[in-house]
Amino acid sequence: MAVADRRPSVAPRIPFWRNVNTIGILAQVVFVAVILFGVVVLVTNTLNALGRANLPADFSWLGSRAGIPIAETPIPYTPNDPYWRALLIGFLNTLKIAGIGVVLASLIGIAVGVMRLASNWLVRSIATVYIELLRNIPLAVQIVFWYTAVLLPIPPRINNPVELPGGVYLSNVGLAFPFLYPTYRFGAWIPFLVVAVAAVVIGVLWRRRLARRSERPVRVWPLPLLAAVAIAGGGYYVASLDRTLPDGLAIDFTIDRGRGVVYRDVDGDGVRGPRDPVMPFASTIVRIAEAELTASTQNITESGGVVRSTFRFPMILGRDVEQAVVAFGDPDEAAERGLEIHFTRFPSRGVVFVDRDGDGAFTPGEEIDPATLTGFGGVRLVMTVFGYERHIVADRDGQVRTPAFSPSGTVRSAEVAPAENPFSVFGAAAATATRDDVVPLVADVELRPAGPLVLSRVHVPVSSYEGGMRLTVNYLALLLALVIYTSAFIGEIVRGGIQAVAKGQREAALALGLSASQTFSLVVFPQALRIVLPPVISQYLNLTKNSSLAPLAGYGELFVIATIVQNQTGASVPVALLLIASYLFISFAFAFVLNIVNDRLALVER
Amino acid sequence: MFEVIPPRPAPGGVAGVGGWIRRNLFSSPANTLLTVVTGVFVVYVGLSVVLWALFDASWGQVWANQRLFAVYRYPADLLWRPMAVLAAMMALIGVMGGAGRRNEILRGLFWSLVAFVAFVTVIALLFWPSVRVLWAGVLAASLVGYAVGVARPSFVRGLPWAWVAWLFLGFFLLYGVTPGSGLLRIVPARDWGGFMLTLILFTGIVPSFPLGIALALGRRSKLPAIKYVCTGFIEIVRGAPLIMWLFVASLLLPLFLNTDPNNLPAILRAYVAITLFSAAYMAENVRGGLQAVPRGQTEAARALGLGGWQTTSLIVLPQALRAVIPAIVGQAIGLFKDTSLVFIVGLADFFRVTEIVANQPASLQVTGGVKLELYLYVALIYFFFAYRMSIASRQLEKQLGVGTR
Repeated sequence: MAVADRRPSVAPRIPFWRNVNTIGILAQVVFVAVILFGVVVLVTNTLNALGRANLPADFSWLGSRAGIPIAETPIPYTPNDPYWRALLIGFLNTLKIAGIGVVLASLIGIAVGVMRLASNWLVRSIATVYIELLRNIPLAVQIVFWYTAVLLPIPPRINNPVELPGGVYLSNVGLAFPFLYPTYRFGAWIPFLVVAVAAVVIGVLWRRRLARRSERPVRVWPLPLLAAVAIAGGGYYVASLDRTLPDGLAIDFTIDRGRGVVYRDVDGDGVRGPRDPVMPFASTIVRIAEAELTASTQNITESGGVVRSTFRFPMILGRDVEQAVVAFGDPDEAAERGLEIHFTRFPSRGVVFVDRDGDGAFTPGEEIDPATLTGFGGVRLVMTVFGYERHIVADRDGQVRTPAFSPSGTVRSAEVAPAENPFSVFGAAAATATRDDVVPLVADVELRPAGPLVLSRVHVPVSSYEGGMRLTVNYLALLLALVIYTSAFIGEIVRGGIQAVAKGQREAALALGLSASQTFSLVVFPQALRIVLPPVISQYLNLTKNSSLAPLAGYGELFVIATIVQNQTGASVPVALLLIASYLFISFAFAFVLNIVNDRLALVER
Repeated sequence: MFEVIPPRPAPGGVAGVGGWIRRNLFSSPANTLLTVVTGVFVVYVGLSVVLWALFDASWGQVWANQRLFAVYRYPADLLWRPMAVLAAMMALIGVMGGAGRRNEILRGLFWSLVAFVAFVTVIALLFWPSVRVLWAGVLAASLVGYAVGVARPSFVRGLPWAWVAWLFLGFFLLYGVTPGSGLLRIVPARDWGGFMLTLILFTGIVPSFPLGIALALGRRSKLPAIKYVCTGFIEIVRGAPLIMWLFVASLLLPLFLNTDPNNLPAILRAYVAITLFSAAYMAENVRGGLQAVPRGQTEAARALGLGGWQTTSLIVLPQALRAVIPAIVGQAIGLFKDTSLVFIVGLADFFRVTEIVANQPASLQVTGGVKLELYLYVALIYFFFAYRMSIASRQLEKQLGVGTR
């Protein structure tokens, strides 16, 4: 054969500078060397700079006293707590706003997305304007808009909050509503809850199997859920049967300050020592047979206008007392000046006036003194309450608060007749009391056994909310802005998802005789959900990250607390590392969920 | 025999304006109710807003502080410098618009900007005698740029370099050269602000472009060291919000460089943070485009004898970048809005000027303050630019056929 042996006897050696593998390794070595060099330079620089400025470079400061006041604390916190606890509160506050925000943004977003496809042109256009307007204005602008321009200036002050049905209060301090809290008895209920959850899981698995085997449709969820509710409800009843109070539960109530704290007397000495822990969410009743509150009339500027001669006692509601009497602190002087009392909210709110037109009632203008052209400021008023009784659920720091009463007895005469008072629920509101003897101030504070949960109602002892769930204006403003901003993005994603569902699906469902709402909820929406879910989850992450704009609304979440901590300690590098780590943790948590969702969706799709 | 039957008119209530109204607003009793209820709502809200804006609002402070909103405390006698930079920018955009005038999107964007400049110019001619000439100059520069673009479309090829030159020269012109007094005296960065600062920070997207491409290529590299460093950078930066990076950058950059914080103006620190942050997002966008380029393209290029760099720069990148233009415009909108976060490092950008104006004695004398007016004004300006860009992004998507091809 003439074919020459083409195999070279010696493989031609590729020079190493042209060998792809060698070049690759070399390139990496150079790259890593450059990066390392850069890092070393930066780290030495940083250490030098820190040393020069004498700033902390480690985390030892985390344990020292923070001294940062935080308005909203999901877990007990005082400024005496260490820095790490302040940062933890910040992290929890981030979760608190993100968790609620995600739910609300989804609801509004879905509504807007569906509206965007409505057959009604007007509805469709409103949704389009909503989306385009909100997506294209910076979130920062929207936050300060809601906070400084809308929520802060709204009129109801904390002294005179709006009471909505259901015991919900709204004022410039924020929103407060009744809330269920777990008590010391909650532990007894936990086993039942575990069993209930297990019942749902097992029941659903069993019904699923049944559904797979059966020819006829089987409802999977109702029966297990019913069983779980029955177990949990029965368990609640069983757990509430034990009506004894836990050992050593005691309350330390100072009546003239109107404050008390529920604690557990560990050492049994009857006095609250430093080692006696507070007992959150204990149920108490405070009873005071007879006591007094005092207030003076004021001329104050409110919402741009001046309100004259108004008096404001702490909020006393009809259900709190058997009887209340309001009188002038110095009846003789009042009689001399011809002063009278007009209630806007008996017995706590009202105006002092002079009945100049003699009709026996308050007419606007009569609260102004013609001599001075201002109101009757500084007139002292005394409210005497009889049979004060209030059911107070201690806060999470064990605090119980009533108004600060003083001993009764200075009332010498009261001739107050709030005749046409819409708020009056008192049988004998118009009373005449004349006495000079002082009745000592005595409070009867009773601790009551409670079930696993206790309903904490809101009340306003003086000028802050107590009890219930309280949301500050800062939280509300940030939440509102985040929810509205994110809902615009979610709305657009939902619209795209619904439109991406093949038209035939809808037509087939309608042809099968499903109604329009059935078609949407059973056929179109589940399919749209598959397309919509991944981008919506990344919007949830955006919402969480955007909550770091909180400094604009003064809400104490992670970023805000971290900036304060940095400012106080000067620990720039550790705080920066903590911040980055926290946000990466949140991002990776979302990425983890997103991966699970993507896997599940991929499975469904086959 | 056939007879042509003339077409009958459409049945009543289907065609025409009346038909449209019937179909879209009053098709069923429920729909009619919906229309009435929402209609009353819209009229009520719209009327309240209009009545408030016309009679109750006090726009005096917004009008009186236009210079603060535009350039903050930049010296009044040196206004020609930022205006010259603006004029150069408009001229460059003009060249782009002129050369690409057959492209509906480019043309639309250009004329929208010109309309905005013309609007301000008219106001300047009527009310602001000191900047009359400057605004007329900016308007003229845009039109001249457009004419140049029309006459010499080939100039477009030099535009990337022109933008880089603009970035550097513009910075020096704004900052100044000589200390003391004079036309070119240094204006310390703490006096920069307003919409000028917002635009300056927005240009952070220019350097983030090459950085992002490099990061995206690095992330797709087969060399593990490069790949993991790039991936790590991208994921860490994207994992935390921009406001945090601004804060961290303003804390750490002086430490990294071992220099006194006062030597590094806050603008510079914010600019670095914005550029790096934007680069990480840019990298992810570009990576999406790189993944969309079919493998065959690379293989064909290699078969033709192109080297690695040539394949990437001549074959893969052009196709990848083309595919992700809408995503990049989307990112630009996001960055434009996010420049408002620089308040955290104490900069007085367009958004922050509202608070400065709101706390002026003149504002506090107005009953109830002028906050609502200020925020609405700022929101309107942001909206104009962001919405215009989002329209362009949508047109681009349609033009590139994303989702249909």
